Amino acid sequence: MVDERVYEMFREIGRDMYVHNLVSSHGGNISVRFGDRIIIKRRGAMLGRLKPHDLIETGLEKNDSGVALASTELIVHRAIYKATPALAVVHAHPRVAIALSLSRDEIVPIDNEGSYLLKKVPVVSVEFASGTKQMADTLAEALKSYKIVFLRGHGSFAIGQTLDEAFQWTDALEEAAQIIMYAKYLNEEMIEYRRMSDSYSSW
Amino acid sequence: MKGWTGKTLIVDLTQGTITTEPLNMDIAPLFIGGRGLGARLLWDLVGPEVDPLSPDNVLIIATGPMTATGFQTSNRFSVSTKSPLTGTVLDANSGGYWGMRFKRAGYDLMIIKGRAPKPVYLEITPAGVSLHDATHLWGRRVAETSELLGQDKNKRNVLCIGPAGENLVRFAAIMNDATRAAARGGPGAVMGSKNLKAIVVEGDERVEMADKERFRFVQYEATKMLKANPITSQAFPEFGTAVVMNIVNAIGALPTYNFQQTHFDHADAISGEAIAETILVKNAACWACPIACTRISKTDKGEGEGPEYETAWAFGASCGIDDLIAITNANFLCNDLGMDTISAGSTIACAMELTEKGLLTSDLRFGRADLLEQTVEDIAYRRGLGDELAEGSYRLAERHGAPELSMSVKKLEMPAYDPRGMQGQGLLYATSNRGGCHMRGNMLSVEVLGLPKLIDRFQVQGKASFVILHQNTAAILDSLVACKFVNIAVAEEYLARALTSLTGITYSTGDLIRAGERIWNLERLYNLREGFTRADDTLPPRLLNEPATGGSAGWVSHLEPMLAEYYRSRGWDENGVPKPAKLEELQLADLAAEVIHG
Repeated sequence: MVDERVYEMFREIGRDMYVHNLVSSHGGNISVRFGDRIIIKRRGAMLGRLKPHDLIETGLEKNDSGVALASTELIVHRAIYKATPALAVVHAHPRVAIALSLSRDEIVPIDNEGSYLLKKVPVVSVEFASGTKQMADTLAEALKSYKIVFLRGHGSFAIGQTLDEAFQWTDALEEAAQIIMYAKYLNEEMIEYRRMSDSYSSW
Repeated sequence: MKGWTGKTLIVDLTQGTITTEPLNMDIAPLFIGGRGLGARLLWDLVGPEVDPLSPDNVLIIATGPMTATGFQTSNRFSVSTKSPLTGTVLDANSGGYWGMRFKRAGYDLMIIKGRAPKPVYLEITPAGVSLHDATHLWGRRVAETSELLGQDKNKRNVLCIGPAGENLVRFAAIMNDATRAAARGGPGAVMGSKNLKAIVVEGDERVEMADKERFRFVQYEATKMLKANPITSQAFPEFGTAVVMNIVNAIGALPTYNFQQTHFDHADAISGEAIAETILVKNAACWACPIACTRISKTDKGEGEGPEYETAWAFGASCGIDDLIAITNANFLCNDLGMDTISAGSTIACAMELTEKGLLTSDLRFGRADLLEQTVEDIAYRRGLGDELAEGSYRLAERHGAPELSMSVKKLEMPAYDPRGMQGQGLLYATSNRGGCHMRGNMLSVEVLGLPKLIDRFQVQGKASFVILHQNTAAILDSLVACKFVNIAVAEEYLARALTSLTGITYSTGDLIRAGERIWNLERLYNLREGFTRADDTLPPRLLNEPATGGSAGWVSHLEPMLAEYYRSRGWDENGVPKPAKLEELQLADLAAEVIHG
């Protein structure tokens, strides 16, 4: 039985992700790790309208009936939890960041908040970019070193101690991506205001 | 060698010999340094047959690859030994300047064995390492000893014990730079049992780095974090750690009258704000620390260091005392006599309750501020009732027929956060491998301060995962060695990158936390080998049965469901023994064979 406080956390973060245009109606998924258990969004449920029955509990390693109901990305969430210290995972489809991921191998914010929080977000590619072991392993490995990683053309995977922490990295990335886009539209020479900014790519 | 110096100093006090050995690079990258490396070496050197106060126990004083590099708070060192208070694996660590200086003398760590036939002190300078007669220093207090040995924070740093260590008080501290303490669990008594009064270090060798430019960038980014965080940039510098006194009291998690209540009506009088308004002279910092949480205070007894939050609580709310001057003077005395203030205050509080319940004959009563200083002196010199108190609260309470009145876990007195108002804190104490300790994980951050994000302090489900993560992280901080407070603002990803750029060995954030998990499991194995069992992973019955007051009114600790979840999440069996698969994963399987299979 999932604690009422846990449901409330899922509901609020899910709603915020939808309102912030980080997912479409049925896209994205979120989960938390409770020891050897995972609580994850139900497959096909809308993040913006989560009900208590949309939270599915299953094993971190061991299958049970929960896997029949869980998000299709369960395999990715499990791999991430096993490889990293994450206690929460947020997967979103931030639109401008997706667009940027189509033409670059890393997203390096140029705004102050993005630089401060993220430094650099690596972009990884896999052949089958939905619910595959290859995708799970690639993302889990990258998330050992980064708190948010981008799957080219698909979306972001962020980790944190809590859902709101992972959500913060996701939202900050999309904001940074939008600013990169606006700056590109303006097409004016950038005045660098950050000391050691060349080093962000080495993060 | 990058990051590490590659040199271990070995001092055999029985033989009077001093040798050096190369650092074992098969194990150093796995256990990092400080506490982790100390635990790994202790595993080999001190088995269950060894009495902590016998010559067969060892003292391992260790720095880490980060020590003395200039990274924020990279001044610390760790002391590992078997604890004379708890019988568990122990490390206690301390800041100041001494740790930095020892690394700059050219060593990662030293192992001190045996017992000198008469009091000695060790001197480490660029000219060499030597043992000297310390008969003239034996009996002297910490400040005087430090001065006589030439304490100069910028050149020559003294680590020593005071009378409490000499008299084998079970919670005696090892002091350095006159006022800094490695205190919990009584390493000072182990040093006293070896007839080793002091260790003086000089040296200025710089630590070599694999990628200095990248290291500086990580350091620069960490600076931004520390400046932006209001706790590290404002609250701690202005009010010290006691800034949390009113916060913890407001939520009903301030243990009061030996944990009989969880709200102290007079908390404001012993708070960080009160310290700043009344006795504070200035704040001060350890080497390479931009936080500067240290309090330099002045009372009728002079100027000294303190009180920290835990000390203001231990002699304050825990003893029902709101006299800040008396508390501060007791703190100054503990520094000078070389004693852990948490255990000292909590043991006195235990004696107060035993007395009020008619189980002990003494003048100690809650609120008797006038008796604090004399009682602290009596403990250090084992005079009268002080001799009983010097054994710690558990042995005291047991002797008088009420061990349940000792507010300790594994005989180590718990600090200033009541598990009834912070459920995760209870699990943290119960599972802490050096006993009731708040430095083995930081649940205050997540359950109260909202760092990185606030979680529900009363929530039970899922709490084990937070405790485990924070325990693993604390093990890393103690092994780098860095101050817990840097991690308030600077996340593990920064530390991993700093370690990588220092050593040239790639540590992802995940690798780093995994190393913390390895250290935690090794310490668990050590305690299992000593005979500790699941039954020891518990809390005093009061916390499980008697409801809290104030802002946590009605709550008790719901330890059992959290503990079951904790064991499962750690990959341990129902008895708290790590399963073979977990040990294999952590590269501990070889060590574990004798514990798991007898």
